[in-house]
Amino acid sequence: MRRKIKQAGKAGAKAPRKKPVKKAVPKRRRVKAAARRAVRKVRRPKAVPELMGTGAVVEAQRHKAEEAKYYPRPSAYMPPRQWEREELPSSYGDTRIVLMTRDSHWIFAYWEITDARRMDIEREAHAGWDGLRKVLRVYDVTDIEFNGTNAHKHFDIDITPEAGNWYIRVGEANRSWCVDLGVITPDGKFIVIARSNVVGTPRDTASDVIDEEWMSIEEDFLKLYGLWGGFAGASPGKAQIRKILKERLEKELSSGAVSSFVRPAKYRGFWMVVNTELVLYGATEPDASVTVQGRPIKLNRDGTFSLRFALPDGEQVIPVKGVSADKEEERTITPIVKKYTK
Amino acid sequence: MEKGYLSIVLHSHLPYVRHPEYEDFMEEDWLYEAITETYIPLINVYNGLIRDGVDFRITMTITPSLCSMLADPLLQDRYIKHLDTLIELSNKEVERTRWEPAFNNLALMYQSKFNETRHIFIETYKKNILTAFREFQDMGKLEIITCNATHGFLPLMETCPKSVRAQVEVGANNYEKHFGRRPRGIWLAECGYYPGVDRYLKDAGIKFFFVDTHGILHASPRPKYGVYAPIYCKSGVAAFGRDFDSSKQVWSAIEGYPGDYNYREFYRDVGFDLDFEYIKPYIHKDGIRMNTGIKYYRITGRTDHKEPYNPDWARERAASHAGNFMFNRERQAEYLFDIMKKKPIIVAPYDAELYGHWWYEGPMFLDYLFRKLHYDQKTVRPITPSEYLAQNPTNQVATPSMSSWGYKGYCEHWLDGSNDWIYRHLHKASERMTELADSYPNADGLLRRALNQALRELLLAQSSDWAFIMKTGTVVQYAVKRTKDHILRFTRLYEDIKSNRIDEGWLADIEWKDNIFPEIDYRAHT
Repeated sequence: MRRKIKQAGKAGAKAPRKKPVKKAVPKRRRVKAAARRAVRKVRRPKAVPELMGTGAVVEAQRHKAEEAKYYPRPSAYMPPRQWEREELPSSYGDTRIVLMTRDSHWIFAYWEITDARRMDIEREAHAGWDGLRKVLRVYDVTDIEFNGTNAHKHFDIDITPEAGNWYIRVGEANRSWCVDLGVITPDGKFIVIARSNVVGTPRDTASDVIDEEWMSIEEDFLKLYGLWGGFAGASPGKAQIRKILKERLEKELSSGAVSSFVRPAKYRGFWMVVNTELVLYGATEPDASVTVQGRPIKLNRDGTFSLRFALPDGEQVIPVKGVSADKEEERTITPIVKKYTK
Repeated sequence: MEKGYLSIVLHSHLPYVRHPEYEDFMEEDWLYEAITETYIPLINVYNGLIRDGVDFRITMTITPSLCSMLADPLLQDRYIKHLDTLIELSNKEVERTRWEPAFNNLALMYQSKFNETRHIFIETYKKNILTAFREFQDMGKLEIITCNATHGFLPLMETCPKSVRAQVEVGANNYEKHFGRRPRGIWLAECGYYPGVDRYLKDAGIKFFFVDTHGILHASPRPKYGVYAPIYCKSGVAAFGRDFDSSKQVWSAIEGYPGDYNYREFYRDVGFDLDFEYIKPYIHKDGIRMNTGIKYYRITGRTDHKEPYNPDWARERAASHAGNFMFNRERQAEYLFDIMKKKPIIVAPYDAELYGHWWYEGPMFLDYLFRKLHYDQKTVRPITPSEYLAQNPTNQVATPSMSSWGYKGYCEHWLDGSNDWIYRHLHKASERMTELADSYPNADGLLRRALNQALRELLLAQSSDWAFIMKTGTVVQYAVKRTKDHILRFTRLYEDIKSNRIDEGWLADIEWKDNIFPEIDYRAHT
């Protein structure tokens, strides 16, 4: 069991790994640098992507013109200068780690550490920040009141110094998890920076708990379960059920597939379409009446007109007839258009 | 005597998109398209069934954000403008296609449909189609359920219980305002459930909700009847589970009805197909081609070459698919009745916009289905969840498993490299909202306005649609922008309130822009 968990821990390294930019600087200067960083952060909040990883990169590349589109056109109200910032803060001045459940086998953690807390840790560890191993210690705390020492088991994940979040493959459904964000000192001591909330991974198969009042024959339940996998009439075995489950959940029967705001992209290979249209235009006295192929049309104020027709293959005979307002005069002009496609 | 029940559930939702600061805003078209292609066609189907004495039952979510848009005078007027442009285009199309009868007939069809839609919208329902749905509900044919306020995805809000409460409470209050009574049921956004959510539903007086198939099948203790009977959570709120088979027949890209070659092809729209100069006035002002709603082709086959759409053939297919769907439900009910020794309820939920907008013949399919169910058989009976619970008050108690109906069944679609950066900001804002609500339990005047607006901004930021879009990759910039705007507006309100210098001019400006839920009370977040 234990080995399995360790493997799971390794597989959990999914967050973007950036190369740490490290410089060999004396400790005193490092602290100062950290303080400078802190000041800079307060004054000019960095763009979200730098902290958050892959997700918001798109945003950083946003085009100026696009941006303008979403901003109000000048209105009576002008916002005060200090509020012209448009980026979210890169930090909130907290030291914390928050866990979220992704699915039966994965959880997600994000965290933030203040510079003050960082310095405390350096003092406690008697070592510089860069020299400390940063880890997520993942505890299995199923059905217990976790006090830091009574977990069923735990495993560590080494994280990159710049990471602010991590996807953790815990690999076990129906368990509860808690994570300590911490450092391991050169002499092997684990120091907790922050402890997370507890989350559960949802069950990935039917419960074994049976309510006596609501018992059914195993076979009947499996029949109902099997319907999910299109096994009407048969009761699948447990192994099959796992397979069904995986297949079913990955089927595109999920929501939003068709809403107008998430129109599915359609694959098309190379293609070409050619169409032809005919523009028929002319002019007469503004108060004359004109018919095209016998149907009356509306003239523009100046007596001009313009019509547009999709032009299919074949011959089109298009009599255009104008009659003066006093019905005294009349003229017919008949263009004939032949179109064919080869 | 019937062998089982069928509960068709249509979930209609659109994120709150309303930009009074622009004359023309492309994303507002989502609403206009849905009104023309889905909501009004459904209203027509229901009216037809009632006129012909067909007894039917259907359940629909109309989410609070959608309700707020449908009831909004600015959007109502803009819809009419949109429709008028469409009518103008259809008039030109009737002229342009004069020499091509197959297309000319279709142009005439659109022309008459758009004019009819305009008449129904303006004359029959005085611009507010919520009236129509309310009437169907009052007649007992339709059960309208609510949704959490801005369609926030609750499983990723578990660390913010006050926000979960506010999402549910604000949603329920909005429902009451529009439909004149408390909601009995709720659609949790994306069917997102985690054990414990039901407590907040109970507090809001809600009696039932829905989960995806595995939410019930993996409940504990093991549910005796699978998804074919609801279970009660410990809080006493009932959970109904989605039936897989009936979903597959409609949803599936491969096996589903909407892929029939005689049905209308969604992707060939004159907005993309016609000469740029001609179509320019009817697409986006910046010259971006987009769907207009006038589509002339049928799916034809797995080919590029598309044949003109033939409405009669499509109608025939819709009727035969309805017959097939009904036949399958009858056999399913008989089979289940045999195993369960009681009447199963088959719950078939779909995105409402599937019907009409995407699957053009969808409303017609529903029309045929309810007619056939009424006249041609006695094995399955359409029912609403409320009616079912009234007739079957005894159900097993079990806790559903955390689940959603999104890709892979849990939270992956909303928690992914493309969108995971939003949660630290959402969670922080929620924490701050709690702090504000606790600090000012009895605010009034300007402070109260600021607090109410803070809750509006928070709820708007929590809309799951933004994370959804970021992952899907369609209009990512817009979704990112919306998330940031609402968080930033919230943050400024928070800081202004804390430092006791609320800028009334600015507050009025964002009240005007983000005017969702005029009735909101910030104390919902306590």
